[in-house]
Amino acid sequence: MTIIESPVQVAQQQARELPPPEQREVVFDVSALTVSYGESPALMNVSLDVYKNFVTAFIGPSGCGKSTFIRCFNRMNDLIPSAVVEGTILYRGQDLYGRDVDAVEVRRRIGMVFQKPNPFPKSIYDNVAFGPRVLGMTDDLDGRVERALHQAALWDEVKDRLKDGALGLSGGQQQRLCIARCLAVEPDVLLMDEPASALDPISTTRIEDLMHDLKREYTIVIVTHNMQQAARIADMTAFFSVQIENGHRSGVLVEYDATPTIFTKPADKRTEDYVTGRFG
Amino acid sequence: MRVSLQQELDQLEASLQEEGALVLRALRGCLNALERQDAELADEVIAFDDEVDDAYIAIEEGIQSLLARQTPVAIDLRNVLAVLHINLHLERMADYCVTVAKLTKLVQNVPSDPMLAEALEDMGVRAEEMIQAALDSFANRDVESAETLVEMDELIDGANRRLVHQILSLSADPELREWGLRMLLVSRCLERIGDHAVDIGEQTAFLVSGQFREFTDASH
Amino acid sequence: MSVAASDAPVRSGRRRGVWRGRIFVALLLLSMAVGFVALGTLFFDVLSKGLAYVDPVLLTNPPSSNPDIAGARPAILATLYLGVLLILFTVPIGVGTAVYLEEYADRNRWYNRLLELNIQNLAAVPSIVYGILGLAFLVRGLGLGRVLLAGALILTLLVLPTVIIAAREAIRAVPGSIREGAYALGATQWQVVSRQVLPAAIPGIATGSILALARAIGETAPLILIGALTFISFNPTVMGPFTALPVQIYNWTKLPDPQFKSLAAAAIIVLLIMVLLLNAGAIWLRNRYQKRW
Repeated sequence: MTIIESPVQVAQQQARELPPPEQREVVFDVSALTVSYGESPALMNVSLDVYKNFVTAFIGPSGCGKSTFIRCFNRMNDLIPSAVVEGTILYRGQDLYGRDVDAVEVRRRIGMVFQKPNPFPKSIYDNVAFGPRVLGMTDDLDGRVERALHQAALWDEVKDRLKDGALGLSGGQQQRLCIARCLAVEPDVLLMDEPASALDPISTTRIEDLMHDLKREYTIVIVTHNMQQAARIADMTAFFSVQIENGHRSGVLVEYDATPTIFTKPADKRTEDYVTGRFG
Repeated sequence: MRVSLQQELDQLEASLQEEGALVLRALRGCLNALERQDAELADEVIAFDDEVDDAYIAIEEGIQSLLARQTPVAIDLRNVLAVLHINLHLERMADYCVTVAKLTKLVQNVPSDPMLAEALEDMGVRAEEMIQAALDSFANRDVESAETLVEMDELIDGANRRLVHQILSLSADPELREWGLRMLLVSRCLERIGDHAVDIGEQTAFLVSGQFREFTDASH
Repeated sequence: MSVAASDAPVRSGRRRGVWRGRIFVALLLLSMAVGFVALGTLFFDVLSKGLAYVDPVLLTNPPSSNPDIAGARPAILATLYLGVLLILFTVPIGVGTAVYLEEYADRNRWYNRLLELNIQNLAAVPSIVYGILGLAFLVRGLGLGRVLLAGALILTLLVLPTVIIAAREAIRAVPGSIREGAYALGATQWQVVSRQVLPAAIPGIATGSILALARAIGETAPLILIGALTFISFNPTVMGPFTALPVQIYNWTKLPDPQFKSLAAAAIIVLLIMVLLLNAGAIWLRNRYQKRW
């Protein structure tokens, strides 16, 4: 009997299909980001990399600045007059806040889904077609709408009533419609600010399965206050916490690592306290 | 629904079945080494245990990661717990194979009794059948076939007891005494492998019924 | 603790509370009744006096000193023209101002805050002041003369603050989440306003405008001040002398002949019908396009 050949690497099977660190492509490179509303900083000195085709989750207690952070990626903080952003975010090597960068173009490439589904008071078709229309992508509008609805796993449910009002859909369907709306403009990145927190458990699971599919084509960043959700769907997890200095509360990045590590052996005690539920 | 959870559970189980295949190969290897008194083969079997240990650790880590991230409940949770236990039983079985191989090396140039050797081979074959049956019944979630493991174990236990008597009678012959003592241990290892296979069957029953119960009490 | 002992204080407390509730409701009904009774009496009075005189003569004849053939055609036409002009002027200016204040203005700038303050004040200015204003600046200052256009412009100024406030409310009622969603898709500010905010606010704007119009066509003092004449027998033109229905009513009530008083009552009924129709239109619009967010 000869030496038994090396069997299939059980470890490799266990590992999720993530490329090792050397092979990861960086989509966002954040350095020393600080965001303030008026005098006090809401978020201080954050640095991390977001990788392509990963689901990256931001978790942490309320007030830790995670929503503020995610809104920096598509320059939605521009809409708040008192917001000041310092530090840099490079999107594929380009400074997002550079002088000649057009915020409209940024938002086409980097879409956002909000916590409470916000369909426009128009028909389902017009909702999905709104993005392409305002951006001038009007060729084959029907095709674009259909593809987007397919990708958002909503097509079968609405294909016979595209002209009906969007507000007549259920909460879970409305959120998927909002996702389809984003996908219709062919973005590169999807930002999701607590996308399932207003939904029932079944709709939440459907959205999570959707994210699992979408990450093959898109890069997804999600803010969630439900850390079990981050544990289930995220490849990388960033834990933010609140720091009190001189009477000011500001958010800081505590730990950023692969999700299994964060939830089995986190390096920082604050992270462990948070994920075990002993704090926050 | 819960696509990634299902994928991970399937992957864990596939890994487990592969580990089972490894254990079977280890058992066949050590039985062959025993029969032919082949020290080289015994060494290979001992080295091969590293593969089983790697598989064991990988599954342990996979389970830890899955429990932390997916918080499975109900049948999913029982599935994970069953895999956890079966993983342990498989690893112990592989360790017994190593023990048999080591014992084989120790009786290299010692005279042996061919009849007893054949009896041991029969016990080994029975053990192989039990391992296969245990793995199959788990894969098919078949409680009935898991319960047949009890009868199969009875046969091994009976063979073990008979072997003890035969070795006792052997001990009159000083030349065969050493070999006899070592073979006693081998028999004990094979009997323990059979017990672990029954334990695997009990995990199948636990997974399906939700209740943990021993198939037989300790009095048998 | 016995059941009886804990029962007694609870029961009497309840009794007091129940009576207080009933007295309160009675007072509410009383105040409502006062309003209704007063209004009802008014309606009844007008209807009993004027219903007989509501006939085609009233609608098609010009005024005359003979009550049998007197009508209010020029006044009715003028009121209609005023209404149309009013809508044409107030809606663009009012909606434009509201859009600027809600969507574009930086609240921290002093001139924007001044603008806001002024609008609130202007809505409270008595209508006769607008009349004096119109007389001084439009009729005499700009040299328009005592013409329909001047009347329309005065009424525009009178009603503009109300329209602006109504439009602002309608625009504010559009949830911020809609705007955010549109911005997040890459829309510019103009696209967000023109394609999301305004379409959603139109029902509220329309309702507010119609209500403002309904109020304006009943205004008398400013029109009198800028010279709405009382005796015009020809149909009014935009740049010509004019009268209006409220003015006509006012003047008929001043005449001694009791028949004219009945004619005035009839004209009041016509005016009331116009107002009621406008209000009904506003309500229909609001119900039809009501948005549930």
